[in-house]
Amino acid sequence: MMSPAELRPYLDELERFADGQMTTSEQDVFEERMLREPALREAFEVFEQITADLRWVAGHETLRHRLLTLDHRLNQRQDALLRIKRRQRRTQTRWGAIVAVLALLAVGLWFFLLRPAARQSGSAWQNYYVADPGLPSENTLDEHRPLLAEAMTQYRLGHYPAAMHALRRVPTDNLGADTLQYYNGIFLLSEGDGQAARPYLRRVVQQSGSPLVRKARYHLAVAYWAARQWPEARAAFREVAADSLNPYRRDAQKVLQANVLRGSD
Amino acid sequence: MNQPLAEALTHLRMGNQTFLINFYQDHRDHFARWARRHHQLELASAHEALRAVLIDFYDQVIDGRLTKLPPDLRAYLYGMGREQIETVKTTAALPVVEASRRQHLLGVFGQMGNDCQQVLMYFYFRGYNFEKVAGKMGFANATVARLQKASCLRKLIELRGRAADGALPGAAAAPPAV
Repeated sequence: MMSPAELRPYLDELERFADGQMTTSEQDVFEERMLREPALREAFEVFEQITADLRWVAGHETLRHRLLTLDHRLNQRQDALLRIKRRQRRTQTRWGAIVAVLALLAVGLWFFLLRPAARQSGSAWQNYYVADPGLPSENTLDEHRPLLAEAMTQYRLGHYPAAMHALRRVPTDNLGADTLQYYNGIFLLSEGDGQAARPYLRRVVQQSGSPLVRKARYHLAVAYWAARQWPEARAAFREVAADSLNPYRRDAQKVLQANVLRGSD
Repeated sequence: MNQPLAEALTHLRMGNQTFLINFYQDHRDHFARWARRHHQLELASAHEALRAVLIDFYDQVIDGRLTKLPPDLRAYLYGMGREQIETVKTTAALPVVEASRRQHLLGVFGQMGNDCQQVLMYFYFRGYNFEKVAGKMGFANATVARLQKASCLRKLIELRGRAADGALPGAAAAPPAV
């Protein structure tokens, strides 16, 4: 096979011929020379083989380069997507942490500020309080006591001031004093005013002949609790819990068992 | 794949490699998962294997070893991928002389500088004229491109001759880029 040194003298001509750089007459002369000069013909054949192989190599390498470039671009895209996902996850985690911290702060605030206030306002007693059902409507209407009936209706609806207003208009000759005092106390207690309810209920408790004494004793105990009078409340609840005839005996026992009658004495 | 499969081989023979480029783009991740599941191959190695498969497939088409598109091209290429990974070869090979001559030239080509490689690829594969080569490469004009191409071709012939004479250790060696 022809060496590069042997090929070199023919290269310019061969290249010009192969690349179409020759004029038509130059091409004719060159082709004629190839017929006459075996060395030129051999050089041409070697050159043709090299360029044919080079075309194959160039195609092969072009594809390899294109695939590599594409691979690089796809890797970059995947990396970028991964970075975006990571950033999104980080942001989500950060927001999650902020929300969790805020929620914890809110719970803390509620616990330290609102909860004690609730305890101070006496809402704990309301959780245990068993309200009086009020007088049944047949008792009030049959005996022609519309104002009393109105008071009871308002009481059952939770409209305590209106109930109180109606009760105060009931003629005293139409209703026993103990009943009037009892419901005055009940309405006030239901409204949350334990302090105001106490005197009414105490007066009922002191009327030993009244059938409302036992019930009044329970509500008085709750009124003490609402007024944050802990020793009095404990004593009153114990008394109710010890009385087997008291309809609120079980309720009083529950309060004592729960040990909720505590506070700054 | 955008091109109908029937046209793929014709396009490849005409030097349009878009079909294989699209295949790589569409199947790279799937092939990597397949190679990891069946051959415990790392991601980068799987990508490299698929590139090698596609280049081999291209060579088969260009050499005329593959004249008909396989009915299930993906299965065919994945089969080639398995052979590539397991270094087993069942597809038709070129005659030894021709194959070794081309591999030899490929090795020599790889030893040339990037600019020379690019100029020769533009001229001999893409079929660009000298004006277009000059535009692509940033040369002043077509004459510069022609001279550059001539110089690169001479260097390639020189390197090829030297390697054939045993002056160079072979394609794997890496002498300074020309």
